[in-house]
Formats: sequence, C-alpha cells, structure tokens
Amino acid sequence: MNYFRHQEYLEVYGLSRKLFAGYMLVSLGMLLAAAGGSWDITNHLLNKPETFFAPPHAVLYSGVASAVVGTVLVFSASKSAAAGKMIWPMKLVIAGVVMLISAAPVDFGWHSAFGLDGLLSPPHFVLVSGMVVGSAGALAGLSQSTKRVPSVLIIIAILPIWLAASGMIDMFSLPFSETEHFNFNPHPTLGVVVATLAFPFLISACLIGSSALAGKRFGVLSMAGAAFIVIGVLTSIIPNSALTSTIPFYISSIIPIVAADALLAFSRSRFSLYAAGAIVSLAFFMLYYPLITYTYNEVFESKVVWPSLIAQIYFEMIQDVLPLVAIPTAAMGILGALFIDRLVRKKKYSITTYSNWHNNTNT
Amino acid sequence: MLKAIILTGAVAVALVVYFSLSLYIFPQSYQSIEPRKPQAIVTDVSLSASDIALGQALTISVTGTNNGEDADMQFVSVGFPNLTTTDNIKILKHDFDQTPILIAPGELLSSEYSDTDSSVLAQYTSIESFSRPWEAGKTYSADIEVIPKTEGRFVVFIKSVALPHSWEQAHYPQDGTLDQQKEFVEIYSVQVTKP
Repeated sequence: MNYFRHQEYLEVYGLSRKLFAGYMLVSLGMLLAAAGGSWDITNHLLNKPETFFAPPHAVLYSGVASAVVGTVLVFSASKSAAAGKMIWPMKLVIAGVVMLISAAPVDFGWHSAFGLDGLLSPPHFVLVSGMVVGSAGALAGLSQSTKRVPSVLIIIAILPIWLAASGMIDMFSLPFSETEHFNFNPHPTLGVVVATLAFPFLISACLIGSSALAGKRFGVLSMAGAAFIVIGVLTSIIPNSALTSTIPFYISSIIPIVAADALLAFSRSRFSLYAAGAIVSLAFFMLYYPLITYTYNEVFESKVVWPSLIAQIYFEMIQDVLPLVAIPTAAMGILGALFIDRLVRKKKYSITTYSNWHNNTNT
Repeated sequence: MLKAIILTGAVAVALVVYFSLSLYIFPQSYQSIEPRKPQAIVTDVSLSASDIALGQALTISVTGTNNGEDADMQFVSVGFPNLTTTDNIKILKHDFDQTPILIAPGELLSSEYSDTDSSVLAQYTSIESFSRPWEAGKTYSADIEVIPKTEGRFVVFIKSVALPHSWEQAHYPQDGTLDQQKEFVEIYSVQVTKP
C-alpha cells in the first residue's frame, strides 16, 4: 500500500501561497473573535467584572489582529496578480474586515452617547455582519485556491461562519437588547420563530458544507461538530459553575452529528443528504444550550432566568419544546442541505473558472 | 443492500439513544439537582445618633453577608417609610460590586420574595445596595446619609434578600414586621427634634 497517496496534501494554485496564508489568518482570526464574543456574552450574563483587558476581550482582539494581518496579505496578493484583478472572495474578506474594524469606533461612540448597550445595537450588527462576510470570503477563497482543502482547514474556516451567523441569529432571538434608551428585543414569539427556523438551517448548512468540502470523507463533519461543542463548553458552560454538571448532556450532541456524517460518507443517495440535514438540525435545541433557554423561556415558562437556574428551566422546557418544533426544524435542516448541494454544484463550475483566471493572470 | 441496512440500523439506534438521553434521562437527572441555597444576613447596622435635630444628617452603616451557597444576586435594602423623595439621600461610601440604586415612590417592585408575579408600587423611598453575583461567605457594606424632613420618630427598615429565593433563609430577617413588599424587615429609628 502506498501510504503517501492517502496523506492529505496541499496543492495551492500558482502564486497564491501568500493569498492562501491570508485567507487562513482571516478564518483563524474570525474564529478567535467569535469564540471571544461568545465567552464575553456569558461573562456579561454572570456579571463578571468587565475591563478592556478581560480574557474574552483579549481573545477577541487577538482574533481581530489576526484577521487584519490576513487581510493585508490577501490585499497584497491581489496587487501582485499580473492583471491586478480581485476575485470575489478577496472582496468579501476585505469588506468583512473593514466592517469589523469600523464597528469599533462606532461602538465607542454608541457607548459614549447611550451608556450600556444590549446584544443588538447598530455597531454590534455591523461587527457581526463583518465577521459573517469576512469568514465566508475566507472559506470561499480557501476552497478556490486549493484542489482539496485539508480537514483541519475546513474546520477552521467553517466554524467562524457558524459562530458568527449564530451570533447574528442570537441578536434577533435573545431578549438581551433592552437598554435605558432603546428596546431592540424581539417579540418573544418572533424570537422563538427566528431561532426555530434559522438555527437548524445554519447547523445543517455548516455541517453538510464541511462534509462536502472534504469530498464526503467520514470524520470531517464529526470533527467540525465536535469543535463547535468544545467551543460551546469552553465559552458558555464552564464559565458558569452552576452548569458544569450538564457538560455530559451537551457533549452527547455529538451522537447525531456522527450519525449524519456516517450517512453522508457511506451512502451517496439524495435521501441520505436530506436525512443528514434533518438529523443534525434536530439537535439545534441541545447545541444552542444554554443561551437558547432565554429565548424559549419567554414563551414557554416566563420565569426569571437566573444564571444558576438555567439548567433547571431548560430541562423543564425540553420535553415541551422539542416535539413542537421537530417538523419545522427538520424541514429547515433539509433546506440547509439542499442549499449546500446547490453551492457544491456551483463550486465545481467556479473552480474551473478560477483556475482559468489564475492561469491567465500568470501568463 | 446489506450495507444500507446496517447503516440505516446504526443511525436509527444512535438517534433513539440520543433522543432518549436528551428527552428523558438527562432531564430527569438534572431536574433532581437542588437549587443553590444562599443565606442572606445583615450582620451589622449602626446609626450615627439616636436623636438628631431637624435638618441634621443621619448616617446609617449597614453590612450584609452571605452565609450559604453562591447567590446570583443579593441585596441589602434600607427603607425610609417617612420619606417620599430621594433628594435628601446620599451614598457616602460602599464596597458592593454594583452601584446602589435609589427607589422612588411609584416604581414597580416585586413582592413576597417572588420574582415572577405580585408586583407592587413603591410607596416610600428606599435604597438597594447589591452585588451580582454575591459569592458564598462574602461581606459588603455601605454608609448612607439621610436628612429627615419632619420632626418625630424617623423610621428605618432594613432587610437583605438573596436571589433566586430558593429557601426560607434566603431572606433576612426571618420574621418581624412586613414592609410594603410584604417582606420581613428589621426596624430602627431615631428621634428628630426641633433645632
């Protein structure tokens, strides 16, 4: 057996090692920023002391720094191309990071004018939009610049999109946006509808997308899911000591993820694609624990969710919520799978186009 | 065909196990966990004088502690049933984690140690000093200055409540007079005389 043939290898098209490194740094930076943001939300809920150099902020700033360096590399790579043309992933990365950085002074101004802000505010919206756009650009860039993206890179590139888009959905579903001057909280029912439809679509799209990028190799989807779970444990559960006993429950969500991975890897039928989408999406209520408790409590329990009571309220609701949302959730999961299927078909076309573009700019 | 059957069977078993864990086994196991039991106590109250002249300031020093498990929040409340304005109250100093808040008559307050219903409108002025969270064993104190506006007996209500209010000892005192929120208070007073 030739083991070398079975190793993952990196074949970057032409000049673009700088470009490739740029995309990688942007993805890594967005991942750090998104994880830092998630940790910061937990610390706010727990009223932990807030300083400029608090650990979650440090993680977030490191991520932004990495994304900025990556963007500079992407920009300079675009200038070195003979035709000086910028392809759309580069444009997305630059636009995303510009939005991310420009949100900082706007946020400072917002704080100066209105004091404490909630989860949804105009600068926060710009910041999270920038993270979604920038990390989507980096993923697209990575997938265009190599024949086969290595598994670790797929995970590093998918996770920031998943986390940032989750943050966006959180903004429009969690009741954390009422301040002295503004009440941007969604109506409780609307919050539940947004969470029930958007989270399953997102989970399905991100996990099935990771499998598609890996050519449906078994393990990549599972690793992406496991990485999401680890980040959730580190940023949302461990900081709240009242929740640490629920870690086994949270980790158990790896079961449907591995099942979906096996379906996609060992069966190429369209039914498997739909089933995998539905299966991973049905885990949304568990994967978004503990924060999702606040969204559904508004409609199902109407209790005051003290940080030490999150688990109690969540487990009181779960048997009522899951059967109610199962059908729309599965439907959105299937839609997410179909969306990725469409993208994969388009990607096959665009890789050919990119290779042609690259060959032209180098000759 | 056999491969498809094995795959379908394995996925089905995995899903049955997962949803059994998520819907029945874990919820039953976690719902049996007792909520934390903080124990709120006011350990020290001192008034700067027992008699003061009208227009003179009275300083109230109050210290609270949590002798139980961590509380998500605990407050020490100092109420002034003789006052309906907030302009003559000042926090001289405090070491609570958050800034104490003044409550004016007309504001909505919870009552009977409940945080979901039974809201009442405040009828007199009070000040709530709180830490969120208030960890087990921690002690906080505040010095409050107030200038009574009328002669006679000037009454001060003191209480402390830990939240979530999971058991009887989450509030202090355990019995005595009920205040506007139908919660127990300790009563202190000074005599205000003509200058």
